[in-house]
Amino acid sequence: MAIDTTIYVRPQSGISAYLDWLQMLTGAGLILFMWSHMILVASVNLGVGAMNTLAKFFEDYYMAQVGGPMIGITFLLHFALAARKVPFRTEQQSTIWKHSKMLHHKDTWLWMVQAVTAMIILIMGAIHMWTVLTDLPITAQKSAARIQGGFWLVFYLILLPMVELHVGIGFYRIAVKWGFIKRKTRHGFDGFENILTMIFIAIGLITIVRFMLIKV
Amino acid sequence: MTRRLTFNIFRYNPQDPTSVPHTDTYALEEAERMTLYIALTKIREEQDSSLIFDFCCRAGICGACAMVINGRPGLACKTLTKDLPDEITLMPLPVFKLVGDLSVDTGTWFRAMNEKVESWVHSSKKMDPTVQEERMDNALAEEIYELERCVECGCCVAACGTANMRPDFLGATALNRIARFIMDPRDERTEKEYFEIVGTDEGIFGCMGLLACEDVCPKQLPLQDQLGILRRKMGWTAVKQLFGLAK
Repeated sequence: MAIDTTIYVRPQSGISAYLDWLQMLTGAGLILFMWSHMILVASVNLGVGAMNTLAKFFEDYYMAQVGGPMIGITFLLHFALAARKVPFRTEQQSTIWKHSKMLHHKDTWLWMVQAVTAMIILIMGAIHMWTVLTDLPITAQKSAARIQGGFWLVFYLILLPMVELHVGIGFYRIAVKWGFIKRKTRHGFDGFENILTMIFIAIGLITIVRFMLIKV
Repeated sequence: MTRRLTFNIFRYNPQDPTSVPHTDTYALEEAERMTLYIALTKIREEQDSSLIFDFCCRAGICGACAMVINGRPGLACKTLTKDLPDEITLMPLPVFKLVGDLSVDTGTWFRAMNEKVESWVHSSKKMDPTVQEERMDNALAEEIYELERCVECGCCVAACGTANMRPDFLGATALNRIARFIMDPRDERTEKEYFEIVGTDEGIFGCMGLLACEDVCPKQLPLQDQLGILRRKMGWTAVKQLFGLAK
């Protein structure tokens, strides 16, 4: 009979730790990116020229051509890392669903929101990135034309709140998981994070309306 | 005005082959300062002597009476009926093995957990009973005591989404336990040894930060803070390991 000798080797590796670091760092990186992204897109509210100047700056320094695909890779990596914790088996899904319903606990529900929005963002975010990055340069006129087509208006009206919820909850989660926010400050931080998310969704909606009004 | 309380209680006795899991409903007049312990005892004495539930200290010290109260794990002896609505649903804690009705076997689970994390001071010093105990800084002793207050009721494990999905997850109580020994200067375990126990996906890196443990703990242990500290500590140990600096 063959004996699996590997079972005697104590796996003294930090693999779980490194993956958790990476999950947090890619998440934090993507949060920073989404905030910068909001600045670029919302700059259209200051005028078409403002957005085009910013976009041209990113292009001139190859931040869109190189940075774009790198964000794409980070995005996929973050998905793969976080997916280690997301239940994909029906049995586990049913357990966590029943558990959340039983517990009436906000942070547990927020995690469900995080997991569900993640799946939607994975698909819609990938479509959005492909569409934008295969049609460089980014200009306010092109973005406006896309949104005024109708299909993309609905698309972004769904994607916007999904991303902002995911970013907001993720920001909160990193802060409490890694001990940046302690018991004393948790509820205050939670409230601050809710307001921040709301503000971002509002800015996003205003920006979408602005794009609808640009003459193309 | 006394309220008439309705209790929906989970019933199932695995010892009895004819028993099927179901819910029984009992009605009871609320009394002043009534706890769930008093209510359950009254039901058992006056209405149904077959009702199974655990109690020992009646004062939130032994941790035996943990159950799911209207969806939230908590201690029955510490829960006043006046803080609950007219209808009260009681279920046994999930994750743990069911003994019968509201009684679960937390003992086996906690014994295994304590063995797994080696929940004792690891010291190479020989104990000399004739000399005085070594002194410890008072502030530190109090900090350790703060974590030592755990009564092993199992509420944090029952409330944990991760522990419910994955039976191999250590849970907040075990991580709190390890945090307590890391603080203790008498424990000679190295950071590498601690890392081996909790630096995994069954340990601190399996924690998804849902914080239900923090929110249900009947002893208000600082679980959120300790989990955060432990994640950072183990995270740094892993980084140090990468450069061969971990002790």
